[in-house]
Amino acid sequence: MRRFRIIIRTLIALILFSVLHYTLPQHDVVRVVNTYQERQDLGDWTRIFWSKPDDQASGLINRDVQFVQTVKKKTYLLGFIRSDAEEVMVYRNEDTGWSWPFYFKFDTASLQTEVDDLRSTPESPKWAVVTHYGWRNELISAFPNAVAIRPVAGPDVTIIPWFNIMFFLVLAVAIGFVRALWRQFRERSIDPALQDAGEAWDAVDARADEAKGRFSRWRDSWRSK
Amino acid sequence: MVAALRLIVFGFIGLSIVYVLVSLYSRSVRLEKLEEKWAEEHPNGNESDREAWLREGMEAYQKSFRPKLILLVYVVPALLVLLSIILIN
Repeated sequence: MRRFRIIIRTLIALILFSVLHYTLPQHDVVRVVNTYQERQDLGDWTRIFWSKPDDQASGLINRDVQFVQTVKKKTYLLGFIRSDAEEVMVYRNEDTGWSWPFYFKFDTASLQTEVDDLRSTPESPKWAVVTHYGWRNELISAFPNAVAIRPVAGPDVTIIPWFNIMFFLVLAVAIGFVRALWRQFRERSIDPALQDAGEAWDAVDARADEAKGRFSRWRDSWRSK
Repeated sequence: MVAALRLIVFGFIGLSIVYVLVSLYSRSVRLEKLEEKWAEEHPNGNESDREAWLREGMEAYQKSFRPKLILLVYVVPALLVLLSIILIN
């Protein structure tokens, strides 16, 4: 039972972590190499890794998607540990529109233009910070979605994730509020009800005891002394 | 535009649930405070006086500005959506 509970809790924590890791914005220091457009099939389960623009027909099974090819500075441990090593990263550039995840991004074409403007070569690199969400997975061809890009002076720029800081603060406040709400509800509604029920049960119990007493006295009267 | 409508409808439902919960919580906390205050000021007060006094206190609370502040539950998320639309695009 104990092991079962640990497994369930670990699973829930893992799912929560995955959802947050997929959805919350992350920042990469990159150098844009190129941009391209490619027809993408949307017919299988990897559909969940592509956006669903508002104006798209529901039966559509493939469409053009814009991509951004970059060379990025490697980071470890959720971006907290940064290194000088480089790797390639390809982002997709899609509207999220009014649906999940709620970035309300409608400026795909403008972003693509900004990205094109920042293209550079290894000899004279122009560094930029890309804000994105999502995962890169080569096996199933999933790409993180670029949300914004801004040029920076060099690759050693300090990035403060304001949104994530605020998000976790608000989340902590919300959890604290739900706890307070539950405690208040228990103190004012459940506990008094339980107390009443307990008192009622005690009364029933006492009456039962009394009845049993009478019954056993009656039964005992039949026994030979 | 269908997605926007869907967001508004489901957002409204979700926020209404939050609104009801916060209102109930706020009212419950206020009633508890009033009960404590009565117990402190009238250690030997009788029950009907107590109930009338509590009812009066809760009516005063309902008319006050504080419960209207809970409407911010609808306003703040709407403003946040507006802010993110401005910032992202």
